[in-house]
Amino acid sequence: MENVRIKARVIKSNIIMILSTLAALYGILFLGWILVSIIYHGYEYLNLDFFTQDPAPPGMPGGGLRMAFIGQFLITTIAAFIGTPIGIMAGIFLAEYGRGTWWAIFIRNLADIVISMPAIVIGAAVYVILVAPLHSFNGLSGSVALSILSLPYITIATDEMLKLVPKEMREAAYALGAYKHYVIKKVTMRAAKTGILTGVILGLARMAGEAAPLLFTSFNNDHTTFNLLKPMATLTITIFIYATGPYHEWHEQAWAAGFVLTLGVLAAVIIAKYLVHGGSFTAPFMYVARRMTKINKG
Amino acid sequence: MSSIIAIENAKIDIRNLNFYYKKGLKPALENINMPIPDKKVTALIGPSGCGKTTLLRCLNRMHDLYPGIKYEGEIIFDNQNILSKSTDLIILRSRIGMVFQKPTPFPMSIFENVAFGLRLMGINNKTELRDRVEAAIKMAALWDEVGNRLHENAFSLSGGQQQRLVIARAIAVNPEVLLFDEPTSALDPISTAKIEELIIELKKRMAIVIVTHNMQQAARIGDYTAFMYLGKLIEFDKTETIFTNPKEKLTEDYITGRFG
Repeated sequence: MENVRIKARVIKSNIIMILSTLAALYGILFLGWILVSIIYHGYEYLNLDFFTQDPAPPGMPGGGLRMAFIGQFLITTIAAFIGTPIGIMAGIFLAEYGRGTWWAIFIRNLADIVISMPAIVIGAAVYVILVAPLHSFNGLSGSVALSILSLPYITIATDEMLKLVPKEMREAAYALGAYKHYVIKKVTMRAAKTGILTGVILGLARMAGEAAPLLFTSFNNDHTTFNLLKPMATLTITIFIYATGPYHEWHEQAWAAGFVLTLGVLAAVIIAKYLVHGGSFTAPFMYVARRMTKINKG
Repeated sequence: MSSIIAIENAKIDIRNLNFYYKKGLKPALENINMPIPDKKVTALIGPSGCGKTTLLRCLNRMHDLYPGIKYEGEIIFDNQNILSKSTDLIILRSRIGMVFQKPTPFPMSIFENVAFGLRLMGINNKTELRDRVEAAIKMAALWDEVGNRLHENAFSLSGGQQQRLVIARAIAVNPEVLLFDEPTSALDPISTAKIEELIIELKKRMAIVIVTHNMQQAARIGDYTAFMYLGKLIEFDKTETIFTNPKEKLTEDYITGRFG
């Protein structure tokens, strides 16, 4: 009787294990498939012209997407410089100053709403404020739209990570006679920096891959421009336009742009992880070495 | 119902103290009257939930970090009532230090941990900072173990070393009173012995109050012992009197293990 019960339990356990392994494989399979096809299709078209030339006339071979690389870089960098400090400060407010107040609860709920809000709605809202009055699509409005998109991620990550700092560590700092902003700057922010950095990167990676908020704001430009008050091309919008366009060369270039964008986001995440693991030049190598020895040890 | 002896050189005098975690609820501490002798170790003992830690945290007003609390009565320190609204908590906490149950190093180097309170006091001169950090670590009997690796992260130390580091950090600013909240309950017996030796050494310089769950510890290092029960102070006396000849029946029942 007892034996039968134990056998039944083992079988149940195995079934659950197999099902969850299959589910994980299903997810990894598609992820791998997407990555492989981006590399396969994208790699082919990569050449120096792709980065250094503006587009050739439609349907003609050659040319590149210089305008999109420069635009993407400018728009996301400016968005990061707007979104990161505001997001972190807002997170500090939620966790340290406003904890438990009506106002903090309101802002936290608002952040949750913005996260689930369709990105295109944010683009439309920024259109009303920054595009319509200027009578022109412009790069700056694109930066603002993207920064709004990344804000709730950064705010919530900062808030959550600061809340994870043990109460005792905070109290110990106050017990030494520290004032509040000193405790935040020297103790809690330092203790939470790994998690906050991860949150910032996730927020930035999320926004860098968005096309929808840029449709109404920075729109597109066939030529390279550094003027933030003029329409500006980005990789995401270019992928959208080229992938839906009628020319074979456009499709190829869209794949290549997707490849570069994916690579860029991947590189940002990896660099950030290295920074977290020491912050020195040799840290990445040490990190890899440690991981390897861990794996070898089983 | 309670028996409290008077002493001559009180560093702190607690008078008719009531404490409430929430206004309107019943008090967590009720009518506490107790002196804290200078340059002695005072141990607070009693069963879980009796208010030992709550009382300790009144002495540096740690409770003020959380909303809704209320004090009544007086705690006299240096002729001032520290419970008055005009008390500068930053100055108060630099004069009355605290060490917690779990070691609480900050996420920075060993040196910077000890320098933390000194920098807060405005000491930025490199030589002075270095000298005072070294003196504090030596006083905490940790120099032999960390003297040659002051710039390593404090989390690389063992639990017992971390706790002595935290004590070094607290004594670096020369507090007049040091509060210990069960400082050895997370440590092994050898680390515990080191901390106890250190406390006995430190009492030459400052008044010490220690909350402990461990009656042997109170007997080993306490000059005076206070027994608390259900938010009240039952008995305060010399440690040997408490453990050999207590005046209150409750105290006797507790130390002989009849409850608690």
